[in-house]
Amino acid sequence: MSILSYNGSAMVAMKGKNCVAIATDKRFGIQAQTISMDFPKVFQMGPHLFIGLPGLATDTQTVMEKLRFRKNLYELKENRHITPTVFASLVSNMLYEKRFGPFFVEPVIAGLDSKTGEPFVCNMDLIGCPNAPEDFVVGGTASAQLYGMCESLWEPDLGPDDLFETISQALINAFDRDAISGWGATVYIIEKDKITTKELKTRMD
Amino acid sequence: MASVASPSFPDYSTQAPTQHMFSPYADNGGSVVAIAGDDFVIIGADTRLSAGFSIYTREQNKLFRLTDNTVLGCAGCWCDTLTLTRILKARMQMYEQEHNKTMSTTAAAQMLSTMLYYKRFFPYYISNILVGLDTEGKGCVYSYDPIGHCERASYRAGGSAGALLQPLLDNQIGLKNMQNVTNKTVSLDRALAVVKDVFISAAERDIYTGDKIMIMVITKNGIKEDSFDLRKD
Amino acid sequence: MFLTRSEYDRGVNTFSPEGRLFQVEYAIEAIKLGSTAIGICTSEGVVLAVEKRITSPLMESTTIEKIVEVDKHIGCAVSGLMADSRTMIDRARVECQNHWFVYNESMSVESCAQAVSNLAIQFGDSDDDGAAMSRPFGVAILFAGIDEKGPQLYHMDPSGTFVEFDAKAIGSGSEGAQQSLQEMYHRSMTLSEATTAALTILKQVMEEKLNSSNVEVMTMTPTNFFHMFPKEQVEEVITTIT
Repeated sequence: MSILSYNGSAMVAMKGKNCVAIATDKRFGIQAQTISMDFPKVFQMGPHLFIGLPGLATDTQTVMEKLRFRKNLYELKENRHITPTVFASLVSNMLYEKRFGPFFVEPVIAGLDSKTGEPFVCNMDLIGCPNAPEDFVVGGTASAQLYGMCESLWEPDLGPDDLFETISQALINAFDRDAISGWGATVYIIEKDKITTKELKTRMD
Repeated sequence: MASVASPSFPDYSTQAPTQHMFSPYADNGGSVVAIAGDDFVIIGADTRLSAGFSIYTREQNKLFRLTDNTVLGCAGCWCDTLTLTRILKARMQMYEQEHNKTMSTTAAAQMLSTMLYYKRFFPYYISNILVGLDTEGKGCVYSYDPIGHCERASYRAGGSAGALLQPLLDNQIGLKNMQNVTNKTVSLDRALAVVKDVFISAAERDIYTGDKIMIMVITKNGIKEDSFDLRKD
Repeated sequence: MFLTRSEYDRGVNTFSPEGRLFQVEYAIEAIKLGSTAIGICTSEGVVLAVEKRITSPLMESTTIEKIVEVDKHIGCAVSGLMADSRTMIDRARVECQNHWFVYNESMSVESCAQAVSNLAIQFGDSDDDGAAMSRPFGVAILFAGIDEKGPQLYHMDPSGTFVEFDAKAIGSGSEGAQQSLQEMYHRSMTLSEATTAALTILKQVMEEKLNSSNVEVMTMTPTNFFHMFPKEQVEEVITTIT
């Protein structure tokens, strides 16, 4: 089995109307054995910017630290917040540096452009090939299930409340059909003037 | 690719062992979805037959009528499907002649399980979903793994887009993770609409599912066929 | 019949010039030496009653088993060579279980009889065709069972011929018993009437005096399926007959 599915994870980000959401499961396990049910995989990288790093848990943490370092360096040099598009390029380039010995993470990025407020979602493969569609992106071991859910549930111009409902249903139902992800979920709704974090109670089996 | 160690180049022959490969299976894709109600059951399958990145045909029916109220949907290795369904048909006819009655859906379901298990170590590489009405006239769905594990359910998605569609059915038909909903049974119109919707979703993301779906609706009045176009790219 | 005895009565698979298979006919004769068994089919269920020949007072009568369970819903009474009957009952049981295994439903009574019939005609004297027996089975069987068609009674003779009956007697007393059955039987018979009738007739045709240890009684009903009467219940029925 792939090293990408050693720990298990499910992640999804969706665009809404003037808002964007990113949701993740909370499980950390070693193959079928669950170790923790409160494992962070989504990290804030700016006032309106989040990155999720599904994949090998050790690389999740390493990549998060390296990205935070590069992002801080950018902010010090440029004296401004990093925009989601620039951050996506940063991630992509950093992953491609390890083209032949990659980090086993498939990042999911969600954010609002700091100037225009334009929603942005993006995901990548483990060597940094970016994909920034108009609707949603998924990642992790439950990605097939998430594609099925999102493809039916998502619709354009969802408000923050509807977006929350949609992304939650998509994530929960998807990871309920994946044996190695789930065990609780966290949803971040990113709006211009506020960020809402919601913890979801889910079945724990 | 011709190897330099092949018989055409005897000078390069070695004493080293040669590995021979035997891969008797093909994955021809396809998805099947079935939903059972109180007095009906519907089953849908896409009509795309493919291998790798090529499409063999856009109109291959993957639903097989076994009796007037039992239908089998198959996805996976098409040559195995052809063989299995022919043997099934023969077994159904033999049963009819030996026991002077048509096989019930439950009997067909159990027989399929044993037939699959009898090839435990060289399995038919097929995702089977068998639907029909049971002796009380209730709709039933049986799903199988390739070696004969059989489970009765009220809805099921199988085949290449099975992983994409099953959570969707859990949510829309099984009403999973919903609060304040009464578990009312699904109507025929709703089931039909959901089957079409989920196939549209599958066709978006699964390259082995598309072109068209064939739908069979089984009620006490018999089997009604329907079809519905999907994207063809 | 014995007048036409000739060379043709030796081979089990050789027809005589008159078109007869003597060994099969002899086997049918053989079962007329067996103990009497009676079966009556009613709308409430089927009853089987057999006599057990207690040839010695030292014999343990309970070890003679002439009514056996084939499956929960099929039982049978046998008459003739008991050893042969074991083989046939074994086949009936295997076929019933196999049917359940493959189809997850109980086998119909007719199909069960058909399966045993297939065994009954597998006799022959060649080694290569996998014949089960070198001679016909010397057994007559009454199958009592419940399936989707309701209670049914089937009779099978050594030739493998099986026919459904409302009431049937086999064994040494069968001729007299069959006559009595014809007089007694009517369609609206209850099961308890049938039980009494079966024992009454058995009493008439038996050489020994009927008692609770030299008969076996079994009922097959849609609710209780195979039910073998315990000694006390047999005695209860015997007291009602004069």
